[in-house]
Amino acid sequence: MKREIPILLVVLCGLAITWAFFSPAPMSRAVNDELLAWGTVFFSVAFLLGISNLVRISLKQISSRHPDWPYKLLLLLVLFGYLLIGAAEIHGWFGIPGGENIRRDWIYKRIFMPLQATMFSLLAFYIASAAFRAFRARSLEATLLLTAGALVMIGQVPIPSFFPFADWIGDTSVRLQGFLMAYVNAAGQKAIIMGAALGTLATGLRIVLGIERSYLSE
Amino acid sequence: MAKRTDKALDLDRRWIFLVIAILVVVLYALGIAAEMPVNQYVQSYYDTIEELDEGSIVLLSADFDPASAAELLPMYQATIYQLLKRNMRVINVATWPAAPPYTREEFEKAAPLYKKKYGVDWVELGFKPGDDVAMGQIGQSVTSAYIQDDRDGKPLADFPIFKDVGNSFEGISLLITMSAGYPGILEWIAQAGGRYDVPILAGTTAVQTPDLFAYYPTQLKGFLGAATGATMYLQLVGADVPQLEEVTITNQKRMLIQTWAHLLIIGLIIYGNVLYFVGRRREANA
Repeated sequence: MKREIPILLVVLCGLAITWAFFSPAPMSRAVNDELLAWGTVFFSVAFLLGISNLVRISLKQISSRHPDWPYKLLLLLVLFGYLLIGAAEIHGWFGIPGGENIRRDWIYKRIFMPLQATMFSLLAFYIASAAFRAFRARSLEATLLLTAGALVMIGQVPIPSFFPFADWIGDTSVRLQGFLMAYVNAAGQKAIIMGAALGTLATGLRIVLGIERSYLSE
Repeated sequence: MAKRTDKALDLDRRWIFLVIAILVVVLYALGIAAEMPVNQYVQSYYDTIEELDEGSIVLLSADFDPASAAELLPMYQATIYQLLKRNMRVINVATWPAAPPYTREEFEKAAPLYKKKYGVDWVELGFKPGDDVAMGQIGQSVTSAYIQDDRDGKPLADFPIFKDVGNSFEGISLLITMSAGYPGILEWIAQAGGRYDVPILAGTTAVQTPDLFAYYPTQLKGFLGAATGATMYLQLVGADVPQLEEVTITNQKRMLIQTWAHLLIIGLIIYGNVLYFVGRRREANA
């Protein structure tokens, strides 16, 4: 029964969602609404599962003095500290005024935003370094890829007017970039999308028919 | 000669980091702004909003976080100003948890300028967990996907804007997403565009932009691709919105920095390849 019940649930849910997609009947809509609501509830419960797993693993590493244990400790402090501050702001605990002042103005704006923006900005440095080290014209395909990449990069930005033939370079690169993106790229993308859609359909059918059971770790 | 080529190929990457850093800082300090000619995708994005009837309801989804804010926030700001200036009513949602602080702040700045009332002209519904499933639920019925608004915690029935909104995007004339990845524009196209036939516009990061050309102009009416698209759009909207002047100039300055950064990267690729071929010829001759 441990296998049969989950498979039966998946088959029923899959069929109900598929039926709702094609049927305008009010009952199919009601079933679909209900299943989607359950889906978001499960998603929220998954957050709790994720947090409990994170806490369990972090505590284990802290107690065994893993080389990364100070970071794990910091992670737990931030996790529960943020929860505590949020609860304190909502309920007015510890004399903290209500609202979102600490969470939004201090933690989010002054810590989280600059940290995340900095991490993402580092990409520019790594891309430049990788461009020098890894992008080699080793084959015809690699050379085409490099050339297309360079053309798209130039077409994406304004050419300074003091450059010789700036207008011509600007116009030509924009036109070439437009051609590459709107025809070559779009054609390739459409082929990939169609292939992926057919693959998704086949996998979905296998799951709904109970043939594919990898989600049960089988 | 051989040693010199090897040494050049083994260049400490910190030199490259330093050159990029100097380039960005110096160019930003010089503050030269560059105007961008508007492309058809940005023009379509702008025109689609302009062509809507006054009072139409637009679902605006913030699907980004601070990591991509440099690219997406300027587009988001300009979109809010264009929508409110054209007297559209906006339902604001988010499928990324870190987006709502941005969205609320931007609306609270822009709404008073156009004398827009909360709950009548715009409403903040906040983050909805569930990725594609949440999008499907919002598409099926916004009023059952959210129990209350995110700003005041009031039931949605209390807000006049929802009187004109029904199931399956009924009453919603346009969906706009500022998309940084998953979940984002591709999921909205699958969950809303294909199913309910609602027109969709998108602002996306540079990484995601190439994916969108396959959907334009049928499933996607227009899009703003990366900082370049944002700059073009700001030039269109910001022309008569003084509040957008600063962000427009900042974006135009960024474009020139991007030009030089791109040229540097192309230069590094060429230099790396020259060294690679010199090394290969040397090995073949040895």
